Amino acid sequence: MRLAEIIRLVWLNLSQNKFKVVLTSVGIIVGSATIMLVIAIGTGSREEVAEQFKNLNAGAIDVTYGGEAQSGGGSDWFSGLFSFGNGGEMPSFGGGDGGGMPSFGGGSGSGSGRSSGGGRSSDGSRSSGGSGMPSFGGFGGGSNGDDLILTQADCEMLLEEVDGITDATIAYTTTTSVEGGDHSSATYYTIAGVLDNYAQISNLSMAIGSFLTQENDESKEKVCVLGANVATEIFGSAYAAYDGIVYIDDRPYVVSGVLEEMGTVASGISPDTAIFIPYQTGIKYVTGEFIRPTITVIAEDVNNVSAVMEEINAVLEETYEGSAFGLSDAGSKMEAATTSNQTLTLLLYSMAAIVFIVGGIGIMNVLFVSVKERTNEIGILKALGCSRKDILMEFLLEASCISFVGACIGVLLSLGITPAVELFHVRVSLSAQGAMLSLVFGVITGTIFGFYPAYKASRLVPVVALNQE
Amino acid sequence: MAMIEMRGINKGYMLGEERLPILKNVDFSVEKGEYVAILGPSGSGKTTFMNIIGCMDVMDSGEYYLDGVAIHETKERDLTEIRNKKIGFIFQNYQLIPTYNVMQNIIMPLLMRGMSHQDAEARCMETIRLLGLDQRLEHKPNELSGGQKQRVSIARALVGQPAILLADEPTGALDQTSGKEVLKLFSEINEMGNTIVMITHDLSVAKTAKRIVRIVDGQLME
Ligand SMILES: Nc1ncnc2c1ncn2[C@@H]1O[C@H](COP(=O)(O)OP(=O)(O)OP(=O)(O)O)[C@@H](O)[C@H]1O
Ligand SMILES: [Mg+2]
Repeated sequence: MRLAEIIRLVWLNLSQNKFKVVLTSVGIIVGSATIMLVIAIGTGSREEVAEQFKNLNAGAIDVTYGGEAQSGGGSDWFSGLFSFGNGGEMPSFGGGDGGGMPSFGGGSGSGSGRSSGGGRSSDGSRSSGGSGMPSFGGFGGGSNGDDLILTQADCEMLLEEVDGITDATIAYTTTTSVEGGDHSSATYYTIAGVLDNYAQISNLSMAIGSFLTQENDESKEKVCVLGANVATEIFGSAYAAYDGIVYIDDRPYVVSGVLEEMGTVASGISPDTAIFIPYQTGIKYVTGEFIRPTITVIAEDVNNVSAVMEEINAVLEETYEGSAFGLSDAGSKMEAATTSNQTLTLLLYSMAAIVFIVGGIGIMNVLFVSVKERTNEIGILKALGCSRKDILMEFLLEASCISFVGACIGVLLSLGITPAVELFHVRVSLSAQGAMLSLVFGVITGTIFGFYPAYKASRLVPVVALNQE
Repeated sequence: MAMIEMRGINKGYMLGEERLPILKNVDFSVEKGEYVAILGPSGSGKTTFMNIIGCMDVMDSGEYYLDGVAIHETKERDLTEIRNKKIGFIFQNYQLIPTYNVMQNIIMPLLMRGMSHQDAEARCMETIRLLGLDQRLEHKPNELSGGQKQRVSIARALVGQPAILLADEPTGALDQTSGKEVLKLFSEINEMGNTIVMITHDLSVAKTAKRIVRIVDGQLME
């Protein structure tokens, strides 16, 4: 029989059994919707990881001393994902939720001043560069003494003595009350004491004005750069904030610039919700001498990070004998995040595969029933001289068409479900490729599972089939 | 050579351990253009015999030549094609496909030969007019009377211009008037040169044929 004629007959059969088509394809509908969402969620979380690390330089190495090791770091995404009650800390999937991100090396900057969510140590307004990331070299050997404080001099020493690094900076954070602009009462904000090269190292760019300068630092000037959210909260807009005055610990600071909005970041200071002031200014007016800063060193060659880390350790060891420093590198943080992201994606894909198998078995059952139902018709076709090949073809095409329809409905369904999924702060990134893939998978599954019933149908003995009522 | 030439056909069914013989050493031949009725009581093996003539069932032993082809030596795959080209079936209970309309049912044998539905539809218009189905082409089988269904079934058997028409109790499910109409049609079709083998348990039906063969105790008698 001509293929075109078989297709026409298939169309005739299916168009008269629309309800059956939908019922048969329920499994495929669910399967396709699942795979579509799985791809969308997988892509979404990959994008999210990329976005969260956009303020990190791949060659960055954080050096801390005396920080407290904290759990919930980037290596632990999985447990973070599946333990929802964990202090609101839901890594990666909290699109736009700046508060509870796993954080390290400098404290997180949630706008609410929450001090338990991220990597900030709990010693009140005095802040540290608590590192919660997979780290190299271990932490301060249990002695959490305040005797050793990393300084700008250490930073310069590393830059000088360690080979293969391009830049180094030092920063600390604290939380303190801030007044000014439209705010009538004081609000707590993350204050970051940073050097002039911090913006460049953290990939920050200015919305208006300019970043802090070396001169600001040397003269301990009371100037500041506001994160995008801080500017809007205090002044209404970046434009209004520029050249304004904010009162940090009741001392006036001139706003020399406002940062562009950065969004959620996985680590470091969350720039949107922080106020940046010169390093020395902060020590003089805000924190005092007792700070726990983080030195960030940028390795020239990303592939050389571990060697650079060893060298840093050696140099520090030499200078401060007997003290252990916390070293962690951005690369392995990214890697850890990517790995757990991949594990997550794999999990989602296996889920989709199971759904497809179940859906396929469903289609097979219904097609078997359909073959039984239509035994007499098959008998007639055989008596009239329809070949096995044609019967196989007809039933197989029917299965593929049913699953194609099912896959289409499934894709549409996934579009409908997406807003519901997004309610759970899961980032869903729908794509045409995802839709294509789920269509293809749906049709293939339906066809594979439709084959056996179709084969059975083609093998029926004509006399026997005809006598069936 | 005869259209149908059968020699020493045996066919039986196994009932548990025992073999129940239905056709015993049957010889049968039909010439081109003949109209033969096979007459026998219920359970005498008429349908069994027709299935063998129609190449839908295999015999236990014997030789069968249909239009010169040695059926007893042919594989099932090729039998499919022989059924399509050489045999037109007319069943007691019509055996129409319920989801297809009259036209689609009638053109099925032509589609199976690889014809497009346009060509097939054009080709069967004459047959459709002959059977008075012009006004019913869009109807589904369940919207037709028994007589109309049987005419659709006859049209389907005729369109392929087969070597023989095989009819198993073609009037069995019809009332007298429709039954007579169908038998009249058979005579007309036979006049046009078609070979017909009709199976019936009803002597009055058998009498409309030109030749009657009785099936008694697994054997054929003229
Ligand atoms: N598949 C089968 N297995 C076993 N026995 C069978 C089978 N088909 C038919 N028979 C037996 O063969 C005998 C002949 O059956 P057949 O259907 O050929 O009779 P028939 O002459 O067509 O009868 P009717 O006029 O009632 O249609 C019957 O006794 C029946 O029980
Ligand atoms: Mg019978």
